[in-house]
Amino acid sequence: MSLAEWFQWLEQTPASTAIAESIWLFPLLEGSHILALPLSVGMIVIFDLHLLGLTLTGSRAATVMTEMLRWAKLGFAVMFITGGLLLMCHAGRAYGNPFFRAKMIFLLILGINAVVYQVVFVPKMPQWAAGRTPAGARVCAVLSLIVWVGVIVCGRTMAYQF
Amino acid sequence: MSVIEFIRDSQYGMPIVQSVHLVGLTLLLAVVFVLNLRLADVALKNVSLEFLVQQLRRWLFVGLAVVVLSGLLIFIGTPAKYLASNPFRVKMAVLGLAMLFQYGMLRRFAAPDAMPRSRAARLIVAALSLTLWFTVGWAGRAIAFIP
Repeated sequence: MSLAEWFQWLEQTPASTAIAESIWLFPLLEGSHILALPLSVGMIVIFDLHLLGLTLTGSRAATVMTEMLRWAKLGFAVMFITGGLLLMCHAGRAYGNPFFRAKMIFLLILGINAVVYQVVFVPKMPQWAAGRTPAGARVCAVLSLIVWVGVIVCGRTMAYQF
Repeated sequence: MSVIEFIRDSQYGMPIVQSVHLVGLTLLLAVVFVLNLRLADVALKNVSLEFLVQQLRRWLFVGLAVVVLSGLLIFIGTPAKYLASNPFRVKMAVLGLAMLFQYGMLRRFAAPDAMPRSRAARLIVAALSLTLWFTVGWAGRAIAFIP
């Protein structure tokens, strides 16, 4: 089965139709997906702003990261569960949608960015003096901020096309 | 074509402004989360609430400005639709309450000379504050589903 066929099949499963046709379940999932933004993306944004020296100056990057990621994990758990269920209901239409595709590519870029940050910069973070972020880590922060905005724009726009 | 018409009638006008509204919401409520979680003693315990307020106040206002301005742009295209919407009325009323409550809370709990409060009091205030802000969010989402 091709990926396109698999997406088509996913949209027609009994669970997908049940969610899509439910008066309250679909709005509840959509609302939860949107309102998990501050706890997932928002915590990352605050950490990115900190890396750029724009907030929590004087705090150590390693501490800020631990605190922010603890909450972000909870937010992303809600995001992936609600996002997965929402995708199920619209899988067939989402497959060819340019905004859905862009969103997935952006998420992939963010994943790679996070892994690079984790491997290259996290081991050295405890040694950074407060407020002294290396240039490479700042690049990761700027990339993260820009691409997360892209994810939000694509996510909101694709919902108008279903 | 005026800005209002572009937002209301073009294919991508409304999605763009709605996206900006969500970016502002992300920033505003992230700061609200951090401040209230600190007040409840469950996050960033190594720094004071006063320090967090001083450091994050700017971003709280940036987020608020973005949601209010984009919200206004959404509203002025079809004011009658929103004024007749029950969730919209709830949203505006609770938004006012949330801002007043948050302001009053920060004045009392994050001032340099603030008197120490019991854990229970801080937990209740943080929970109330987060409930008010997320009621605003849910009421906003409900505009699309409930008359």
